[in-house]
Amino acid sequence: MMKLSMLKCGERAKIARIGAIGPLKRRLMDMGVLVGEEVTMGKVAPLGDPIEINVKNYSLSLRKKEAEDISVEVVE
Amino acid sequence: MNTAASSWEPSVKIPEFETRDLKRKSIAVAVAGNPNSGKSTLINGIAGTRLHVGNWPGVTVEKKEAVFEYRGRRIRLVDLPGTYSLSPYTQEEIISRDYLVREKPDVIVNVVDATNLERNLYLTVQLMELGIPVVMALNIFDEAEKKGYRIDTKAIEDMLGIAVVPTVATRKIGLDDLLKRAISFAEESPLRLPKHLIYGADAEAASRQIEDHLRKDHPSVAAAYPLRWLALKMMEGDSRVMEETGLDEGGLLGETLNHLRAAHEEDIESLMADARYAQASGLTREVMIRPAIRKMEITEKIDRIVLNRFLGIPIFLAAMWLVFKFTFDVSTPFADWIDAMTTGPFRRWAVAAMGFIHAPAWTASLVTDGIIAGVGFVLVFVPVIFAMMFFITFLEGSGYMARAAFVMDRAMHAIGLHGKSFIPMLLGFGCNVPAVYATRVLENPRDKALTSLLIPLMSCGARLPVYVVFIGAFFAAHAGTVLWSLYVMGIALAVLMGIMFKRTLFKGESPMFIMELPPYRMPSFRSLMIHTWEKGKHFLIKAGTYILAVSVLVWFLLNLPWGVQNKKDSYLGKAGQVIAPVLEPLGFGNWEAASSLVSGLIAKEIVVGTMGEIYAHKAKEDKKEQPSPTDDFREIGTSFLAASKKSVSNIFSTFGISSLSAQQDDESAGLKPVLRKTFTPLSAYAFIVFVLLYMPCVIVAIAMRQEFGTWKWFGIAFTYQMALAWSVAFVIYQGGKLIGIGG
Repeated sequence: MMKLSMLKCGERAKIARIGAIGPLKRRLMDMGVLVGEEVTMGKVAPLGDPIEINVKNYSLSLRKKEAEDISVEVVE
Repeated sequence: MNTAASSWEPSVKIPEFETRDLKRKSIAVAVAGNPNSGKSTLINGIAGTRLHVGNWPGVTVEKKEAVFEYRGRRIRLVDLPGTYSLSPYTQEEIISRDYLVREKPDVIVNVVDATNLERNLYLTVQLMELGIPVVMALNIFDEAEKKGYRIDTKAIEDMLGIAVVPTVATRKIGLDDLLKRAISFAEESPLRLPKHLIYGADAEAASRQIEDHLRKDHPSVAAAYPLRWLALKMMEGDSRVMEETGLDEGGLLGETLNHLRAAHEEDIESLMADARYAQASGLTREVMIRPAIRKMEITEKIDRIVLNRFLGIPIFLAAMWLVFKFTFDVSTPFADWIDAMTTGPFRRWAVAAMGFIHAPAWTASLVTDGIIAGVGFVLVFVPVIFAMMFFITFLEGSGYMARAAFVMDRAMHAIGLHGKSFIPMLLGFGCNVPAVYATRVLENPRDKALTSLLIPLMSCGARLPVYVVFIGAFFAAHAGTVLWSLYVMGIALAVLMGIMFKRTLFKGESPMFIMELPPYRMPSFRSLMIHTWEKGKHFLIKAGTYILAVSVLVWFLLNLPWGVQNKKDSYLGKAGQVIAPVLEPLGFGNWEAASSLVSGLIAKEIVVGTMGEIYAHKAKEDKKEQPSPTDDFREIGTSFLAASKKSVSNIFSTFGISSLSAQQDDESAGLKPVLRKTFTPLSAYAFIVFVLLYMPCVIVAIAMRQEFGTWKWFGIAFTYQMALAWSVAFVIYQGGKLIGIGG
């Protein structure tokens, strides 16, 4: 298990746990970031934050801090 | 974990659609959909110029509405803000659900991006819970087909009990069908309600229990809401619903909910979101076939370059430079033309007309210097507002806006702002007015307010003439450095104030950034034009009225009591005399400087004009001979052509940003020797710093009022800027004196 924000570009992973609570959690869920969902790490912004992930066949950007509480398992 | 929730209730046989007699004359259609689903384009395609743009009551979110006749019915189309869900967390979502629940439109048109079916369906299943017929516009259908997606629309209809119409809004394909289906669904409402989504056995049992409980014990609440929706929201622990209904989790309700929570380890909110997504993905699998091999999409190719670690920022800066240049350089010649017309021919005609009817001198002055000047003042802003709206809409519609935010967010977030804040701030260097209007690219009210508060610190083009006069008179040898220092000071103070506001006025968690990076698309020209036109019109009507009123007020201030020879005795002069002592510690505590600063509330460049009148005792006169009306007409035409030519050539000119290169005119040249007598270099610098900071001009005030629906933010901006201007000028002047520079 590792943090979503630690994934390398192009790496695929399955979401294992979402630690966020309240509005942040709800917003993540509404955008399709759910436990069990597969995500692919996309780009990192030129200044190092935010990051881009691919989920449910679309691109989502979020700040590293918002991705911090999302645990993932890398998929080979 | 998603197994509990993938079956549909047995389908009800729905009779085939036939054209019936008109049951209802008036039909309310609410248009809902994800951001970037082409909803705006679709609405523009249907309603076109009948669209009316306003704000949702009490909030800064844009509301688009249209009322029109269609096949004998009166259609009222309401565009709900683009949302991904109907949770009660963002302004957009709250507006959408409040409208749907309270106003109970006859039918919902759900605009869905066919290239991104699954995520869009997540909203669809929520819309289906409201007890209102749903008609899906399966938009961007052409692109989906080009990608090789095959979507069985009939299957969606059968499985969800809604109507599905493939559309290509950019080419107006399918819009007529969409309206027809929406009307028939609205008119046959009870038969056309969407099917129920089953959330799993125990959730369904709980829902039924809550529904029964509500019906029995709280009949008035049960009658006011779509009952199933209400029960589901209560299960989700929706705080807004609990608040609104005044119900608490006591008694039977609490028992039911606790039972359900105990059965599921997770909170019920997650359970429901999972169930909805399970529905969306299950349905997507059933109705859509994707090609096995996925080509690398054009969006990915562009993003490889645009979001590249090394190229990302240079490309962003180049794009911003273009936006700035286009916005101001394209519009400036037209603004100058309008200015020349209102101060030239129109003014002369008014003077002639007033003379003809033997109006007293003061009325003539009120009409020409107050009203006509005011109208001119409003019109001068029209080109730049239109240009700004056009480019902002283009950036949003093309998909680059999200990338701009992505690239800049790290830097902007440091001072409490959002990545998108960069664009309004940048426009502020041209003119703060369009900059404030451009804050509408920001969704969160906090981001919007903070950005608007900092925009006035961006030194706008109107401040430049003041700098130029003073720098020319005192710092000619170091003109570049002094000018540069002012711009840098503005930016540095914006950073400082941003950090300060973040810790005080805007304490607490900063808004989320979680944002879609939509595929790049070419916005339709028609949609761009309609959007630009609507926004521009909104500005003209709303802001125009205020600006005109203020202009007349200022006329009174400047010219009354009527017939004063010495400006010192006018109300403006008297105001200057009152204020002067306050400015004493800053090095320019005389009534002349104070009065000029007061007149700068209309627009900062007016400071120079007023100084010219006061110091040089120069009354404005029309030196030229009166041209004949035919000459006037010819002048209007030829000068408009010249303006158009200039506008086009500005685009191609490579000589920097022309709107920032000011020229000195004769009037200010005469002013310099007088200024050298009253100011020292030190007090002159303190004065221009004061002009940079002291307050937003009245048009910015009106823009803030219009964008926020309240004077509150302008009040805060005014107060902090006054304090800031005074303090900084004080430190400069007194500090300078202390270390012995000038005196």
